[in-house]
Amino acid sequence: MHIEKLHLTNYRNYADLDVSFENKVNLILGENAQGKTNVMESIFVLAMAKSHRTSNDKDLIRWDEEYAKIDGRVKKRNSSIPLELIISKKGKKARANHIEQQKLSQYVGNMNVVMFAPEDLHLVKGSPQVRRRFIDMEIGQVSPVYLHDMSQYQKILQQRNHYLKLLQIKKTSDTAMLDVLTEQLIEYAVKIVGKRFHYLSLLQEWAEPIHSGISRGLETLKIEYISSVNVSESMELSKMKSEFEEKFDKINHREKERGVTLIGPHRDDLVFHVNGRDVQTFGSQGQQRTTALSLKLAEIELIHSEIGEYPILLLDDVLSELDDYRQSHLLNTIQGKVQTFVTTTSVEGIDHQTLKEASAYYVKQGNLDRVE
Amino acid sequence: MHYPEPISKLIDSFMKLPGIGPKTAARLAFFVLNMKEDTVLDFAKALVNAKRNLSYCSVCGHITDQDPCYICDDQRRDRSIVCVVQDPKDVIAMEKMKEYTGLYHVLHGSISPMDGIGPEDINIPDLLKRLQDETIKEVILATNPNIEGEATAMYISRLLKPSGIIVTRIAHGLPVGGDLEYADEVTLSKAMEGRREV
Repeated sequence: MHIEKLHLTNYRNYADLDVSFENKVNLILGENAQGKTNVMESIFVLAMAKSHRTSNDKDLIRWDEEYAKIDGRVKKRNSSIPLELIISKKGKKARANHIEQQKLSQYVGNMNVVMFAPEDLHLVKGSPQVRRRFIDMEIGQVSPVYLHDMSQYQKILQQRNHYLKLLQIKKTSDTAMLDVLTEQLIEYAVKIVGKRFHYLSLLQEWAEPIHSGISRGLETLKIEYISSVNVSESMELSKMKSEFEEKFDKINHREKERGVTLIGPHRDDLVFHVNGRDVQTFGSQGQQRTTALSLKLAEIELIHSEIGEYPILLLDDVLSELDDYRQSHLLNTIQGKVQTFVTTTSVEGIDHQTLKEASAYYVKQGNLDRVE
Repeated sequence: MHYPEPISKLIDSFMKLPGIGPKTAARLAFFVLNMKEDTVLDFAKALVNAKRNLSYCSVCGHITDQDPCYICDDQRRDRSIVCVVQDPKDVIAMEKMKEYTGLYHVLHGSISPMDGIGPEDINIPDLLKRLQDETIKEVILATNPNIEGEATAMYISRLLKPSGIIVTRIAHGLPVGGDLEYADEVTLSKAMEGRREV
């Protein structure tokens, strides 16, 4: 799939920007602080209905304006549909093909994007939160039910934490309600963990050969899901459920003391093994980068195999962070099949056929001009 | 420009209603000015009467102008079944069906610790008292199919388990008379979960 048109109104530093893109590599050039990343972000937001940079939607609205609007037209294999997202101080409204979508979880998935930014190089080294976000974003794009389960889980988690606080300060002593919330939480926790296992094993299938390719056949990548509960991929959901119940029983006392939910998918993590060793602790900088790159490329392939089309790839300032060999591996993979947006301050030093054929745009103070 | 005080008071009153913003409120207020005085008086009386003469049934919690309410008072109804709902509006919806002949119990809300609503803040204690009467054999839980409604239903079912009363939960899934293709993914996945052998 590819994005044909993008129209930004009052978005970040763009008052009004109307631009068309081709189905190939699009270079976004420009000095620092001119708005290159904002263009990337707007495409990401149009697809995911939230930003990768901020959790506060108001930040996306241009200074002193009431709302921001992103319009786009996305071309898929046999259709071309307009998407529209309005972000106001009161909330977000999304339209797909002119029809307002009541749930954002149903809107997401109309357009698929994979973002690769410098932060993603920290996928391996960073906090567990970064890795959970990675897996949630990836599954969310191909499974709307997962997004729904996830948002239900968050709601129950909030309720449960609130109730644990009440028990902690002894405002209530009724544990029957806690049992109800625990049962509800487990119901969704099991669904989420089950889906994560499923998609991680698919991701692993794609990532392994890619990683081996980048490392010239020297390294084998394995992904492991670390859960706070003793569950495994082959386990039936009902068995998982009873594992969760047992564990919650065991930590019941500690949870009441601490006033917070201590186990569940919101505390889980991923571990990446290269040649059997944990990359986070034992891997070199280079190995960590290769791992991050393999995972992102695997994500592209996974989305392709799930929905039958390649997603749109957003490479934000990341080319300069990769060495020549990894750069060309990345560019070879996308060549001719993935619409890609690349931001960079200059293309000097990158000698690759893909970039020579790219169309280029120059960003200056909230304007985007095509460069011939 | 300022509105004369009586009209701005009226606008302010209309804005207290749900779904009415300043513009609609102003439109309604000016409409009232053009209405016949008798009609306006009837309107005002209807408002006051609804508030004054309606109260909650001491048995089931439904809105009523007599106590107990017409449903609880109706001797032809099946007194062995109680349907638990969140809101008086839900009773009206159920009654439209004209199939259910049991009694009701209105909770006036759902349990939500985040909003400071615990089990004792809604009409649950009264329900328990009511169920000590041995004529009740079945309780149908018809709270809303969202997180809070589900939690409330589960909570009540836990409380009732030792009593031996049959507790049932209404089904959820596809709306009847609709097309499968228009159902959203989440509803469909719920419907798949609740599938049964035919």
